[in-house]
Amino acid sequence: MLVQNAIADTLNNAEWTFALAECLHIGGFAVGIGSIALVDLRMLNLGLRKETAARILKYTEPWTMVALVFVVFSGLMLFLAQPEIYLQRAPYVLNERFMFLLKMSLLATAVLYNFTVHRRVAKMDNPPPALSKLVAAVSLVLWVSIVFGGIFIGFLQ
Amino acid sequence: MGIAHSIQSISFLSDFSQSVLAYPIVLSTHLTCIALFGGMILATDLRLLGLSLKSLTVTEVVTSLRPWKRLGGTIMISMGLLLASSKAEEYAANPIFWTKMIILGLIGVHALIFRPIVYNKTEELDRSPVMPARAKAAAILSLVLWTAMFTMGRLIAYWD
Repeated sequence: MLVQNAIADTLNNAEWTFALAECLHIGGFAVGIGSIALVDLRMLNLGLRKETAARILKYTEPWTMVALVFVVFSGLMLFLAQPEIYLQRAPYVLNERFMFLLKMSLLATAVLYNFTVHRRVAKMDNPPPALSKLVAAVSLVLWVSIVFGGIFIGFLQ
Repeated sequence: MGIAHSIQSISFLSDFSQSVLAYPIVLSTHLTCIALFGGMILATDLRLLGLSLKSLTVTEVVTSLRPWKRLGGTIMISMGLLLASSKAEEYAANPIFWTKMIILGLIGVHALIFRPIVYNKTEELDRSPVMPARAKAAAILSLVLWTAMFTMGRLIAYWD
């Protein structure tokens, strides 16, 4: 085994810990992505129209941050349970490792995008509607692709 | 087990459960709906509890999110039905799956009880100086039921 650690031992030997980490991961991304999607929905002008995107962002940002912490920590636990499948498999082949690295790249992009471009446009006083819509659509596509990436990790070998 | 076996033997469903691409795509779609739909449920519940989105009326939050929740719920349930029926035999023998179905039933009961007194009476709630207890009860129960729902969903895979 690549890593011999107390977390991996607990995760692999106590059956409920891995399941618990998975549930926290799902609950976390539901709140995290769901809260960002509320801002996107407003930026697309498809809901919550009686308030500005900036205000919706202000309300939902704390949920996003707390959820992100849960997702990253539970994700780290899931990773540490079997780090070898993510790190030691053959590179450049469509396998778990490839999908994991793709998902992590998308995640890094999405987080960076969320706290720079997305945030800035959501906070604009009078953004061009086309810009708002484009920025929101890119945000939704990025976050949804991360969910797909996470599921596909488990279906590749 | 007879019925469950017949369901999953329908050629479309057995092809689906064996498929390398279709099965994970449907599962990912199911989870995407949980994320998008989950945020809307949380928004509604926190607004009812007076914990967030306070500058919006309850009416605005409930009515503008309603069509999206319906769409999300329809896709989520259709995908879930496809996932469960393609492995009907395994699922029929799984008590966690049935627990999840009972929770789904309770979510239906929640809607029957609270729709006429909370979700369809939002203007009354907006006029009230303090949020009535029935609205807070609806929000708390909704959070508890949906948390139980996705937890059971994940735990289905752990029963053997």
